[in-house]
Amino acid sequence: MYIYDDFDHTVAQQRVAEFRDQVGRRLKGELSEEQFRPLRLMNGLYLQLHAYMLRVAVPYGTLSATQMRKLAHIARVYDRGYAHFTTRQNIQYNWIKLEEMPDLLAELASVQMHGNQTSGNCVRNVTADHFSGAIEGEVEDPRIVSEVIRQWSTFHPEFSWLPRKFKIAVTGAEKDRAAVQWHDIGLHIVRNDADEVGYTVYVGGGMGRIPVLATKVRAFLPKPELLSYLEAILRVYNRHGRRDNIHKARIKILVRDLGPEEFIRQVEEEWEASRQSGVNLPPQEEMRIARYFELPPLEKIAGPVAAFEDAKKQNRAFAQWVATNVHPHKAPGYAIATISLKPIGGIPGDIAADQMDAVADLAERYSFSEIRASHIQNLVLPHVKQADLFAVWQALGKIGFADANAGLVTDIIACPGLDYCSLANARSIPVAQRISERFADLDRQHKIGELQIKISGCINACGHHHAGHIGILGVDKAGQEFYQLTLGGAGDETASTGQLLGPGFSSDGIVDAVEKVIDTYLDLRQPAETFITAYRRVGPAPFKEKLYGAKQ
Amino acid sequence: MAKPDVPKVLTGNLLRNGATVYYTGKEWSAYVADAKVAATADEAEELRKIGAAAYAANLVIDVNVVDVQPTAEHTPAHIREVIRATGPTVRRDLNKSMSAE
Amino acid sequence: MALNSSRVLDRNGPITDGWQRLADDEAVKTGASALVSFQRLKNEHNALFAEAAAVGVEIGGDVTLEELEPFLPRLGLIVVRFAFMRDGRPFSVGRLLRERYGYTRDLRAVGDFIPDQVLFLLRCGFNSFEVGPNFSADALKHGVAAYTVWYQRGVERNQTVAEMRLGKAKEQA
Repeated sequence: MYIYDDFDHTVAQQRVAEFRDQVGRRLKGELSEEQFRPLRLMNGLYLQLHAYMLRVAVPYGTLSATQMRKLAHIARVYDRGYAHFTTRQNIQYNWIKLEEMPDLLAELASVQMHGNQTSGNCVRNVTADHFSGAIEGEVEDPRIVSEVIRQWSTFHPEFSWLPRKFKIAVTGAEKDRAAVQWHDIGLHIVRNDADEVGYTVYVGGGMGRIPVLATKVRAFLPKPELLSYLEAILRVYNRHGRRDNIHKARIKILVRDLGPEEFIRQVEEEWEASRQSGVNLPPQEEMRIARYFELPPLEKIAGPVAAFEDAKKQNRAFAQWVATNVHPHKAPGYAIATISLKPIGGIPGDIAADQMDAVADLAERYSFSEIRASHIQNLVLPHVKQADLFAVWQALGKIGFADANAGLVTDIIACPGLDYCSLANARSIPVAQRISERFADLDRQHKIGELQIKISGCINACGHHHAGHIGILGVDKAGQEFYQLTLGGAGDETASTGQLLGPGFSSDGIVDAVEKVIDTYLDLRQPAETFITAYRRVGPAPFKEKLYGAKQ
Repeated sequence: MAKPDVPKVLTGNLLRNGATVYYTGKEWSAYVADAKVAATADEAEELRKIGAAAYAANLVIDVNVVDVQPTAEHTPAHIREVIRATGPTVRRDLNKSMSAE
Repeated sequence: MALNSSRVLDRNGPITDGWQRLADDEAVKTGASALVSFQRLKNEHNALFAEAAAVGVEIGGDVTLEELEPFLPRLGLIVVRFAFMRDGRPFSVGRLLRERYGYTRDLRAVGDFIPDQVLFLLRCGFNSFEVGPNFSADALKHGVAAYTVWYQRGVERNQTVAEMRLGKAKEQA
């Protein structure tokens, strides 16, 4: 993974010093809250219901064991012993004190971490496929270009005060695990007919109250010209995006208002005028960064691994875990192991300090010290020998993270919701917990198959409900928590927006409604169909009928 | 006939550490039960002014006057404020009660 | 209306400033440096350039630069107004004026920006700042020294981190 050099360290240290100064001026009253708020947000610091919340960037979801131990230390010393992995591959602390922030940031900087641009109207932390570099079939490891974008977007002089937040995601594989079409800019690394590497560029995707899938603005952008093209997009947006209405300020609205053709014309015109201005990265620098993402020194392992195959035969629970939580690695004899942060009845994405330390130990021992955070709020050990998987699984069992449910009905995405968040209208976590408990039976989960439930506690959609096979949106109905149900959303290469099924359900009713939807699917599915493929075949009608009666 | 005024309390979060606090009539307490209750619209307006002054003095942020029920503990009327007063419902181990007892 | 309640700073602190901001119906004092609205410049440019010793214009972030372009060679000052603190358009306007339109004279920011934003304004081509009485010149001086290395090239043509890395690599080779 990427390692800071002296220049990166200097920038990181200067950031800590700058925020120390800003916190000091705020506490002395030299900065008003209106002035300070955007500054603290650009360091990841929000005010939530109970305290400040700090969002720490995990660039493109890649973490080292050392960094994970530091995150555990911060949970113990500066927070209440736990933290929360988010739907943007970041990690959040819920009980932060402003006066301790400068020291906290200094601790993060000591392990090459920060809260930079995890909030605010700027280019946010870049997200990427959590299997990057380990999965078969990538044109290129998307973390390379993600690191290029991280550096380019860090404290950008022109684009740090955009109309609204700006999210970029990258995938290097056909199978899209980064939901690129749901982002302000989505990049899909491709190879053209001349065998050159470049990007298919998508612009203007986003969730929130107006869910929009991105527009493909360019089928092939040559790799060396990426940064000048990104600057052209950002400049058109910075100059012409709406600033009079926060709900219409995302780039998706600009693309819609101009029309995709006119938007593309303006971007291309801006790009033609500026592409020679020296913004593009020197190729040597790209190569320097790429070297940090080469595969670790894997052993050459030939043929099936007997110990692994035997363990699966002898232990059904282990075999079930392998079936859902283990993906093939591009190197024979290795595997990608998903650590489910979704124990039955647990809080999706939450992890205690001791569990963080345990994961760090496992990464160190079995995965070249490397960990990934996924936007599904799980962790990943990307380079595990098949022969070690049984030991990893046993160790995960000791910390309560060995559930064989990755990709299944209890692998639920949920935002913090009204339990923590000042924007939320309804709680998300308790709904996730009750659905998880309802479907606790693992055989039933495996029978239902692949199914993504995503829950947001308000229309801002941090829980990605628009992209859920089953999406749940919490609303406030006359002071009561109510939940709307959407079906048919997806975040992968077949991205689609979930459609509202009908009237909402009470907090008690929503779990029954989800179960009815799933039972309806089990009744009507054909062999080999998953929930989403069955839904796409039959549409909403059978589900509506079961939930609301024939008249609907 | 005008409806009876809903009782209200003044709340915010301390600037320096973010803690949720309530105005007691002379200081800020972690407990909603300690809050001074405004029974009339005029008293509520007085609380709003005190809140605005505390915000201007950089003591509290996110200052609001919120409805409470006529109970001894001043249980907030809306679930959002109940959760603010006591903590996340999914982590009872980290909750505080509405009063210091 | 003179700049009575406000001050003008550059990156080092307060500077003396001879520009007079004129209301649209205010007569130009012969031989004075007149700062006018863009509308007035468009309507009265012949008279303004004839009467005033120097002409400056105030624009907003929503300016159409193609409309301003014909006047650029004769302008001594362009003031870009922040409509509110988080208005990010002046950053793009400054960079375009310097890099695309080749404007070289005084480029000034005015409005609700704070000292912590000045370093980025400098990097986008601004060189002076009209500020209110509460704006801390000390904070500005501190803020412009906050960073010494940059991943991006600014209008000041600094070496980027990538270029410094290449230089270092050559030295070591």
